[in-house]
Amino acid sequence: MANVLSTGTGALIAFQRALATVSHNVANVATEGYSRQRVELSTRTPTDMGYGYVGNGVQVSDVRRIADQLANTRLLESGGELARAQQLSGLASRVDSLFSDKATGLAGVWSNFFDATTGLTSNAASAAAREDVLADANSLTARFKQLNNQLDSLGNEVNSGLRSSAEEVNRIGAEIARLNGEIVSNPNNVSNDLLDQRDRLVSQMVGFTGGTAVQQGDGSLNVFTSGGQALVVGNTSSKLTVATDPYRPERVRLALDGNGQQIQLNDSSLGGKIGGLMDFRSKVLDPAQSELGRIAVGLADAYNQQHRAGMDLNGQMGTDFFNIPAPRVNGNANNTGSATLTASVGDLSKLDGKNVVLKFDGTAWSATRADTGANVPLTGTGTAADPLVIDGVELVVGGTPAANDRFLLQPTAGAAGGISVAIDDPNRIAAATPVKAKAELDNVGTGRIGSVKVTDSTNANLLTPADIEFIDGTQYTVNGAGPYTYTAGQPITANGWSLSLDGVPAAGDKFSVGSTGAGSSDNGNAIALGNIDDAKALNGGTVSLNGALGGLTTTIGSAARQADYAAEAQQVLYDQAQGARDSVSGVNLDEEAANMLRFQQAYQAAAQVISTADTMFQSLLSAVRR
Amino acid sequence: MNNRISTSGAYQLQLGTMLRKQAGLSHTQQQLASGQRLVTAKDDPVAAGTAVSLDRATAELERFGENANLLGNRLNLQESVLAQAGDRLARVRELTIQANNAAMSSEDKKAITAELKVIRDEMIGLANSQDGSGRYLFGGTADDHAPFVVSGGNVSYTGDQRQRQVEIAPDQFVSDTLPGSELFMRVKAGDGRIDGAAATGNTGSGVLMEFGLDSSGSWSGAGFTVAFTAPDAYELRDASGAVVGTGTYVSGEGINVGGLNLRIDGAPAAGDSFSVGPAKTNDVFGMIDDLVTALEMPDDSPTQRAAQQNALQASLRNAATAQEHFIDGRATGGAQLAAMDSAAELREAQSVTLETTLSGIRDLDYAEAISRFQLESTALQAAQKAFMKLQSSSLFDLM
Repeated sequence: MANVLSTGTGALIAFQRALATVSHNVANVATEGYSRQRVELSTRTPTDMGYGYVGNGVQVSDVRRIADQLANTRLLESGGELARAQQLSGLASRVDSLFSDKATGLAGVWSNFFDATTGLTSNAASAAAREDVLADANSLTARFKQLNNQLDSLGNEVNSGLRSSAEEVNRIGAEIARLNGEIVSNPNNVSNDLLDQRDRLVSQMVGFTGGTAVQQGDGSLNVFTSGGQALVVGNTSSKLTVATDPYRPERVRLALDGNGQQIQLNDSSLGGKIGGLMDFRSKVLDPAQSELGRIAVGLADAYNQQHRAGMDLNGQMGTDFFNIPAPRVNGNANNTGSATLTASVGDLSKLDGKNVVLKFDGTAWSATRADTGANVPLTGTGTAADPLVIDGVELVVGGTPAANDRFLLQPTAGAAGGISVAIDDPNRIAAATPVKAKAELDNVGTGRIGSVKVTDSTNANLLTPADIEFIDGTQYTVNGAGPYTYTAGQPITANGWSLSLDGVPAAGDKFSVGSTGAGSSDNGNAIALGNIDDAKALNGGTVSLNGALGGLTTTIGSAARQADYAAEAQQVLYDQAQGARDSVSGVNLDEEAANMLRFQQAYQAAAQVISTADTMFQSLLSAVRR
Repeated sequence: MNNRISTSGAYQLQLGTMLRKQAGLSHTQQQLASGQRLVTAKDDPVAAGTAVSLDRATAELERFGENANLLGNRLNLQESVLAQAGDRLARVRELTIQANNAAMSSEDKKAITAELKVIRDEMIGLANSQDGSGRYLFGGTADDHAPFVVSGGNVSYTGDQRQRQVEIAPDQFVSDTLPGSELFMRVKAGDGRIDGAAATGNTGSGVLMEFGLDSSGSWSGAGFTVAFTAPDAYELRDASGAVVGTGTYVSGEGINVGGLNLRIDGAPAAGDSFSVGPAKTNDVFGMIDDLVTALEMPDDSPTQRAAQQNALQASLRNAATAQEHFIDGRATGGAQLAAMDSAAELREAQSVTLETTLSGIRDLDYAEAISRFQLESTALQAAQKAFMKLQSSSLFDLM
């Protein structure tokens, strides 16, 4: 009888515990990272009565946490990768919208500027047409600046993202290490909810850094980055430290501080949000900024060259139309020498905008690509007369470099932010061909001016008046010098110009070539300026400026599309991993409802057992009452 | 296949499906609102890059069209100015023929002279025409000031001889208005190729009536002089003065020398000479001045009358040649206008091609997009209904 009572009471307690666990599960149905728990029941040790064993009822042997380490690891890894892909795709899409939107993109103002220049060809002396060119040039340079600033601020966003992520990682890492310590020191008394809490922290951490966690025999969980660097080992965590780039103080880098060693982290050693930020910076932001700068420099340099070959409304030779910032060269913070490098754009067609690291080995300079480390050919010695030439950039070394001094050359990055219009007087737009020709009115022959072209605008005597007099049909003098032989169809050249004649000049016929002078409405140079966008000025003369602009749109669009695709694919993988984990560890309310019914019934039955024991006891009492 | 799913997992799964469908729907909605298939470059990076170049090409064509309009305006102005100038020259010829009539009184000649002076001023006015935006039509590229300036009774040209070329279709250039030097200053005298004149000191009454090439085609381009040694005998001399032939003069009979024919009427005196040779250039204003001078010459003696006759004959020839010169100028301008018309067609054709390509690349197929929109919204609604159904069924409700 006591046996029945004790069995009943034990069952009541066991089912109470089971119901409590069901209600715990139900209560945590929406708790992220919660693993469902199950009460494990077992029979109590039976009593040997001589004739056999009599059962003693039920007992709670364990409240087990249902988790599959494999499923958890998969979820963890794909979660880190998803965070990386989403970060990259989000930022890349912003750059894409920036360049695609008509209100912020380059294509519209670019086209307007060349339209205004072409408009100058039909009305070269018109003040309105000239003002139009200047106004459109100013909005074009302003747009270049805006885009560059936007990219700069995205760079700053990456910096602050890296800073705050590093803080978070350090905080979470310390917490995980603490929990590891707690779990290892007390292996037999670890609450399931503590393990869940640690898993949640690990998944947060991996969301920042990527990588995985490995369960150790002693119950601790070690966390590694996707590059294999240890973030948490047992009860110690490594620290992420924020350092500035040795070449670019405005740029933040991360290093891992563990066991007294500093390991520089790059975008291949980290995944997660931090990896996404670093990926974005090196694969989208930097190339976009370099290419934007290259287009800006390409436009400005080509336009300047042509502009210098023309004559303005004041009768002066054209000057630079755009101010072009010099390529950036930054010394490494650890340089010991006193050298400074001054860079300028030499050959536009060779300019590729890729960053290059220059190294001085004590006697000679060498150059490698900043991203891949591949060797870059370099010529020259670095003096003003023989500058170092790398990919179309000329560098002059000032001061004395020490061995192992390094410099980072950014040929075009940021150039878009420094470009501006150099002239503000519309009369100084050089629309005219600087020289013009005249046939004397009383010439007898049929020779007429065909065209005058400038072949060398830098010739010092270009504007010097030249009188051409024909001695006979085949010989002429220039300013009395000569005679030179005239072949019909061949141009007459002198002082950097070339003059072609139609018809047959007769003896005594005179022609003269001289400066176009002030106030001319000639449009010869404006035509050349208007066609610069289609001239193949870049990539060794294979790509036009228009082509490069379209190419930039495509490059940025593809990067954003790729990142989008990767994020979408990763989302699917993550959802699968989440489903796999939830199918093991997630709470199902119907299941809990069924369990609740089951345990409730068992509880009621056990209560009935106690009641039966009581009845048995009462009948015994009444049997012996007198 | 897992036969156990967690409640929050099922919830997340359904929610994720709905969110994705919503994102797709929003993108389609954006496409429908903008009418463009490419919302940003990532929708189709290659097409977006191509569209940038095509947009530029379209804008350039448009600008070429505007250039052509401006230029067409100037060329049409040139056409009308040259037509008016041609009318004036026709009037000059009429007046010259009238004046050539021996019966004209000196009062009549004065009236003609007065009209000629007015025509000359009108011609200067026409030559200094403006294009409506403050630039002079016939100043070449030095067109910021009036190109024709009168000083001391002479007209001089202060423009330059450069003719602008304007791009009005890709790589197709059309010439702007002709410089005034070529239109008004560089006008051939005589018949445009050969010119003849009586020497100024002639004392006889010989008048050079006409000249031209003979049928042999052997003229070398050199000049010759017919010098009378007696009233009925002459010598033919070349440019250096060497005698190349002699002949007997009969009034009105042709004289042939070095591939040239000429005819002299009247009675030249010994020592008189007539020259014939390659035409020089003169300017139209000087030509009218010469005519005025000729009409104001005294015509009392036969010698004076002959001198006037010779001058009037020369003016008549010059006026005819100048008239042709203006017709040539109009023809040149007309050819440019015709080239502009064909360039306009070319632009139109190219622009249609570009727009079609651009539209294919970038524009939305509305039929496709609307049906996609409907499909997507139906799918979203279905997902929402399914969500409600699944979420509302729980065993707890039945307990």
